[in-house]
Amino acid sequence: MPWQPQVPAVPKEGHILAQRLDLLDPAEVARLGGIEIVAEGVVEGFLSGVHRSPFRGFSVEFTEHRAYQPGDELRYLDWRILARSDRLFVKQFEEETNLRAMILVDASRSMAWRGSPERLTKRAYADRLAAALALILLRQRDATGLVTFDEQVRQVIPPRVKAGQWTRVVRGLIATPDGSGTAAHAALQRLTALLARRGMVILLSDLLFDRDLALAALRYLRHRGHQVIVFHLMDPAEVELGGPPEVRFRDPESSVTVVVRPRELARAYADTVRREIAAWRKACRRHGIAYHHVQTDLPFGMALRLLT
Amino acid sequence: MTFINPLALLGLVAAAIPALLHLLQRRVPPELEFPAVRYLSAAERESARRLKLRHLLLLILRTALIIVIVLAAARPLVRMGGAGGGAHEPTAVVVILDNSPSSGVVVDGRLVLDRLRVIARTTISRTTSADRVWLMLCDGVLRRGTREALLASVDSATTGWQRLDLVQAVDRAARLVDAQPLPGREVHVLSDLQRSALAEGRAVVPAGVRVLSLAALDRAVANRGIAEVRVTEGAAVIELKGAGAGSASGDAAQPVPVTIRVGAGRRDRGEISARGLATPGSAVTIEIPVQNLSPGWWVGEALLEPDELRADDRRPFAWRVAPAARVTATAGAGGFVAAALAVLREGSRVRDGSDVTFTGGEALAGELSIVQPPADPALVGQANRALGARGVSWQWGGGATSTPGPISAPTLNGIAGVQVIRRYRLEQTSPGSGGSGGGSSDQSADDVLATVNDEPWLVRAGSTVLLGSRMDTAWTVLPATPAFVPFIDALANRIVRGEADVTTAEGAPRVEFRRRGTDTTGATVFGPDPRESDLTPAPKSLVETALGGEDRVEVLGDAEFASERFSGTRRTDGSGFLLVLALLLAASELGVATRTR
Repeated sequence: MPWQPQVPAVPKEGHILAQRLDLLDPAEVARLGGIEIVAEGVVEGFLSGVHRSPFRGFSVEFTEHRAYQPGDELRYLDWRILARSDRLFVKQFEEETNLRAMILVDASRSMAWRGSPERLTKRAYADRLAAALALILLRQRDATGLVTFDEQVRQVIPPRVKAGQWTRVVRGLIATPDGSGTAAHAALQRLTALLARRGMVILLSDLLFDRDLALAALRYLRHRGHQVIVFHLMDPAEVELGGPPEVRFRDPESSVTVVVRPRELARAYADTVRREIAAWRKACRRHGIAYHHVQTDLPFGMALRLLT
Repeated sequence: MTFINPLALLGLVAAAIPALLHLLQRRVPPELEFPAVRYLSAAERESARRLKLRHLLLLILRTALIIVIVLAAARPLVRMGGAGGGAHEPTAVVVILDNSPSSGVVVDGRLVLDRLRVIARTTISRTTSADRVWLMLCDGVLRRGTREALLASVDSATTGWQRLDLVQAVDRAARLVDAQPLPGREVHVLSDLQRSALAEGRAVVPAGVRVLSLAALDRAVANRGIAEVRVTEGAAVIELKGAGAGSASGDAAQPVPVTIRVGAGRRDRGEISARGLATPGSAVTIEIPVQNLSPGWWVGEALLEPDELRADDRRPFAWRVAPAARVTATAGAGGFVAAALAVLREGSRVRDGSDVTFTGGEALAGELSIVQPPADPALVGQANRALGARGVSWQWGGGATSTPGPISAPTLNGIAGVQVIRRYRLEQTSPGSGGSGGGSSDQSADDVLATVNDEPWLVRAGSTVLLGSRMDTAWTVLPATPAFVPFIDALANRIVRGEADVTTAEGAPRVEFRRRGTDTTGATVFGPDPRESDLTPAPKSLVETALGGEDRVEVLGDAEFASERFSGTRRTDGSGFLLVLALLLAASELGVATRTR
């Protein structure tokens, strides 16, 4: 019997929302069950909506052109357009089975944090989002794998399309404990060796590591022909600084502490965060990497919709 | 700068509270886990300078806020220009409230003193605890006290009976305030400004002392008053004084009825009254039926119809009805004395007899003796022995070469100032011992009736009167003056008996008798100074000149007086401004404290 989510009664005007777990608060959805249940519920809701699968790749059925980006295979260049307009376009095809997607989940210590007990930790949010993504990919018969990492690569589930792959992905997520520090660039460099065949790489992380080093690794993946998508996960409390009048904040990874008066520093902090997000977004765009900033109170469906 | 509540300045200690709180409340903050410390550190690095400035600004604002509030509570006085209200710097001020008899005149249905009292009250009410205030009334006493005590004195001040010499009063007041180490020095003259009160001298007002005088009323008030009453043989001579606008013309120049009443209240002798018409500025003689008067002291009063100034409408008088003394003179008494006695005998002032003896240093024979030094210096020793034998405690000193000089005699006005050429110094042999013949034991300095160069010249010792000079023009010019015969009359009828003349003094109208034992030896008649009856106001120029000069004295109307007092040191209470400033500081502090960027 297929899983039926237990949706609490809501007013009539909220009927549609109540039927779609992908649009509910992530924390509320998480209370309905484990990762599998949540992911299935979210995906059911998402796909039953107006959305199609957000993923496109290379297949025999041509869908559209897009501007050439460094790293695209030259064989997909549309030479006719190049001859007519002297502009580089590649042809995109409706891929059926041969998309190889690898989901990278940051399992560092900082991901195991939440600003409020009413919300999911970044790691929990990433797990559920990763499971949902994997389910969508596997349903359209795309080979999907999983890599979890902190300072080291913790779990590697190679991309497969066979039955039981999603369960393995979910178990891989569950089996990965919260790590300690994050030296993501080292893990990402190791991942480049694992991802020999080009495909899609989806990174779920709070990006609290050295941006330049991490970008170097991502840029390398992009150079190897991977389509790279970055989900920058942040807790709302990391965006808007709050807390007691005076507090000593300790970095869970480096144990660095700093004493601040949140009320005094709130605006400056918000500016810094905005600048950091903008810097990531700009750097990713420059290198053909899709960047999405996601707060952990964003419904999963809305996060998935960022990919369409 | 001065403060109305200087004790509040102790609150300035509270200005250290913000800094102390900053230092003492540095507690260990709670520690929380926060992954995005790297963003936090970056934000703090960027904002560190701004935050330090903000903290410093908050500290300054909070400290300044406390200081400003404390200063406002202390109520500082800030100097301000121009006239108007407000407080003033510490000022030494003498308020001269002239409540002399003339202040009792009624003008337009209102007592002049009431007008002066209101202004004095306002002036004193405007003083603060930092001021030094004195109040001077017509008695000339400088009263120092608290504001409340002085206000009570002003409220209780009624029309007095003493004349106030404004020139002397301002002179004393100016010297007093000039000696005070205060920024402001003012003398406020609240008077009806009679011309007669400013007639003599000029006050010396030091630089830096302001004399503010209330201007006199615009119109003069006509007044008639009894200036003096003298009783001669069988008649009272009454001098009437006209004052104000009517002194030369109008109602005040018209003859007015004067009533004399004698023996009022003495049922044993009965009351005698007489009437007459007197013109202001002149004297009138009203006969008294002396045949009904028995020997002794008599008291009477002269009365006028009531007018605007009641204080001078009644004046008492006293005189003694006594039989003429029986007098004899020895050959040594000299020709001038004999001639004078002849005149007095002709006028029935003396009779022949031996009750009183005038001698020239010879042996004393009569009951009462008036003794001149002997003409021959060789006889002085013998005369002194005779005095000693009679028990007289005075004698003539050696030689008649004492320095000449004028006679000074407070109780014998007629001979005062008369030049003495030769005299013996009168010396007391045994102080306190009385003479024979009824000499009393309370002889003292009162026995010295006249002096020359501060040395006794006329002395009464018991029943004997000693003269320092002979009544001869070779010794003194007195025998050649008109005062000689009255002087001999006084010696024979009054002085040798130990009786004094009737004197006058300022005060509520009444008669007081002087007594020695059971004997009445004299009388003092009290009444207002006759000059008080002249209500003619002094012109402004005279006021300015008499009270210290044009550059020191301001003669002001009521409104100008109110605006000019303390104007030299006027200050305003700065607490209002400070409270506004405190509000601005509080708003600024709130803005800075709540502003997070």
